[in-house]
Amino acid sequence: MIKHIARKEFTDVVRDGRFRWCAALVGALLLVSLGHGWVQARQAQEELAAAQATARDHWESQGEKNPHSAAHYGIYAFKPRLALSFVDEGVDPYTGTSVWLEAHRQNDFLMRPAQDATAAQRVGALTAAQVLQNLVPLLVILLTFGALAGEREQGTLRQLLATGIGRRELAVGKALGVAGALALLLVPAAVVGAAALVVGSTGPAASPLARGTVLAGVYLAYFGAFVGLGLAVSAWARSARTALVVLLGVWVVNGLVAPRAAVDLSKWIHPTPSAVEFAHTLEQEMAAGVDDIQRPDRAAFGERLLAEYGVERAEDLPVNEVGLYLQESEEFGNRIFDRNYGALWDTFERQGVVHEALAVAAPLLAVRTLSMGLAGTDVEQHRHFATAAEAYRRDMMRQMNLDLAENSRTGELYTAGPELWAEVPPLQYDAPTLGWVLGNRVLSLLVLGLWLAGAGLLAARRVQRAEVA
Amino acid sequence: MTLRTVLRNEWRLLAADPALRVVLGVFAVLFVYALANGMAWAGFQERTVEAARTGNAERVEALEQELADIANGGRPSSPFRDPRAPNVLGGARGARTAVLEPGPLTALAVGQSDLLPYYYDVSIYTNEATFQQNGEVENPLNLMVGRFDLAFVTVYLLPLLVLALSYNVLSEEREQGTLALTLSQPVSARDVVLAKLAFRAVLVVGLAAAVSLLGILATGGFGSPGRVLLWCGTVTVYALFWFALAAWVNGLRRSSAWNATALVGAWLVLVVVLPAAVNFAAGLLHPLPSRVEMITAQREASNDAVNQRSELLARYLEDHPEMAGGVVAEEPGLGALAWAATDAVNSRLEEVTAVHDARRADQLALVRRYRFLSPALLAQEVLVDAAGTGDARFARFQSQVRAFADEWRQFFVPAILASERMDAGVLPDVPVFSFVDEGPADVAGRAAVPLLVLGGLVVLVSAGAAARLGRVRGAD
Repeated sequence: MIKHIARKEFTDVVRDGRFRWCAALVGALLLVSLGHGWVQARQAQEELAAAQATARDHWESQGEKNPHSAAHYGIYAFKPRLALSFVDEGVDPYTGTSVWLEAHRQNDFLMRPAQDATAAQRVGALTAAQVLQNLVPLLVILLTFGALAGEREQGTLRQLLATGIGRRELAVGKALGVAGALALLLVPAAVVGAAALVVGSTGPAASPLARGTVLAGVYLAYFGAFVGLGLAVSAWARSARTALVVLLGVWVVNGLVAPRAAVDLSKWIHPTPSAVEFAHTLEQEMAAGVDDIQRPDRAAFGERLLAEYGVERAEDLPVNEVGLYLQESEEFGNRIFDRNYGALWDTFERQGVVHEALAVAAPLLAVRTLSMGLAGTDVEQHRHFATAAEAYRRDMMRQMNLDLAENSRTGELYTAGPELWAEVPPLQYDAPTLGWVLGNRVLSLLVLGLWLAGAGLLAARRVQRAEVA
Repeated sequence: MTLRTVLRNEWRLLAADPALRVVLGVFAVLFVYALANGMAWAGFQERTVEAARTGNAERVEALEQELADIANGGRPSSPFRDPRAPNVLGGARGARTAVLEPGPLTALAVGQSDLLPYYYDVSIYTNEATFQQNGEVENPLNLMVGRFDLAFVTVYLLPLLVLALSYNVLSEEREQGTLALTLSQPVSARDVVLAKLAFRAVLVVGLAAAVSLLGILATGGFGSPGRVLLWCGTVTVYALFWFALAAWVNGLRRSSAWNATALVGAWLVLVVVLPAAVNFAAGLLHPLPSRVEMITAQREASNDAVNQRSELLARYLEDHPEMAGGVVAEEPGLGALAWAATDAVNSRLEEVTAVHDARRADQLALVRRYRFLSPALLAQEVLVDAAGTGDARFARFQSQVRAFADEWRQFFVPAILASERMDAGVLPDVPVFSFVDEGPADVAGRAAVPLLVLGGLVVLVSAGAAARLGRVRGAD
């Protein structure tokens, strides 16, 4: 019997001209945005990889110079586009794409693509993620709002129940019919997405296929929750019109009101410092130290070194005092940077948790978080790369300072050559694993699961209690 | 029965309808939340600007102090940071902070002010890369989603309030069977709809304007009455567009349910789908090259420059005789050589930027052309512009900072080339940045076309509605 209901619902929907138009539109947008996103992501990644290679080339071909001069020259790191970023560009337009790794300083990521756009463009481009998060649920609403309320209005609900079909079967049948219609749209998109992944995206990613599969599951759960919600409201509402109005209200809150409300709420709860304050604090702490992080004193450091090696003059040391002192102050700076940048990133993550928590009122927030996480375009994975780049900078500086310390004497003019530059390994970035991503996103997974289960239960209950006429 | 009767009855009906009271209440809360957010942001920016100014003043004071100490026989704190050297006094140590005051109505529309920098430290080393720096410290996630401010509530949600209040002004009368009765009075369907919508428009626009004015009052925005007028005018015209659309749909003589569906569909397409589609098309047709090549170009230029500074200096002096002013030290100093290298890098950066900006202009032209497809895009642009947080004001600031940086260089570079030393005596003559804000005419000039188009749409749709409604008789 479920089969019959499902088939009838499916046929109804597919024959409906309005559905065909809407589905064709949404389907086309989905395919085009996927394709366009893929081409763009590929181009961007090629460009970034080329720039990274050039940067490495600059580093290696800098000729004979003092290692500390080389450290000041530094190298640029470019944030790679991960394999799945074509589905969801996430916060990438709003994070910088490159960072200068130089001596003494942890720099900010510069060149945010969004700074080149206009205010109108901040409305958001039509990415596959946008279509999946906003337009597909709308389609689901159009498919479900009349599923029961419509039958009741036409008087066919009474007939249907008179055939002896159970109400649960009715609900499942309706849901399957709607799912079948949606599949006409989603299966091709999934195939295109999978093909794009297999054909290849040049960016690094740990297990892109596994990430893609989980991503598909997340979106299916989201649509499932909307199907359940739509059926529940359709069974509860007195008329199809009421059902539509209520569902559209849910859609507006879900897609428009809640996401923005979360932004300002997160800023009220977890304020961030202004750029002036942040820079000022950093500068002050770098100059004077803070708490138990004290700036190494040059003279005391020299004395200690002399005592350690048991010599009288710095020139008699078997090492270059300058190199060791540079490293000592580098380590002091690192602790200051960790303290300040760490606190800032932590605040960002706490703000992210506010967004995630508000998902109890709007499932989009959970799905968006998961989608960006799996695509590798969320704030946490930006931090992951920033941390990797900073760790690379620190290793590089240590290598320069120790080379200076070990291969020269205090006061000596010393230069190193291309061999030393080549000894610094190139920046190798390993994207975080699927487990890492999901571990960060337990709250969103939980809330999305609650939405799916809650909507399903609600639909079952409401269909059970639905009035026949 | 007169229009006054219609209005009085409408008031009674609305007052008696609990659903409408709830809708209006919800919107009042949304408005107030949006205003509170905007005011918090405006306050934050005020404090930041103040801090930037204080930092600047402290820096200049320290510099003056050190120069005075040196004049009294003291020693510079470090030979590399000797403030008497023009490349130090005009460099990062002596940099002046150029500040853009927050837009007069920032509390109403955050606009681009959370993304674009609103202060720069200007020195002789200011170049195109300077303008690539980040703005305020902000969570990228929050930047991506955008703020819940009055501009957002007005552009996205206000139409829904309008539609909720007016989708059934005529169809409901028909469905209740009261239309024939109403129209048997000496009043036409057009007048009834007009009266009902006028009443609702006063309610909606009044609510929006009251909250806006409250925000303006609280943040001192009345200093720019032109902007306030433009803001309120735009909100009114935009709301009227949706009322006109509702009137037109009511004139089609369909059921309330059909009206609701059609109007929500129109909202979806005009407010949600089209703006995104325009941006999508812009990205597709005119993809923007990333700024990545700027970094590579800068690096290559500085690598080259370091190796051929003497040649560069000769070429620079040929190109810029005004900078040398006839005084070049016999043996070019290190400062002069370094300056030649800096200038070569800057020129290369300007080349790369010019290419990039040309391609960007193509994309912006497309976005600007197709914004006419969506009243929401038009309204958003004018509102943000009126608030003083739009792209135009930031672009104006940037170009004035560029000019100021030029002036700054004119002041210090000749001394660098001549290997001169400076003292506290030059400080009063150092160029000073003061932002020449746009006047009401500038803002109005930019808003004219979008507002005219929006107004034209209102007239067009209203005329269509009037024609449709003129044909409504009580009998149908």
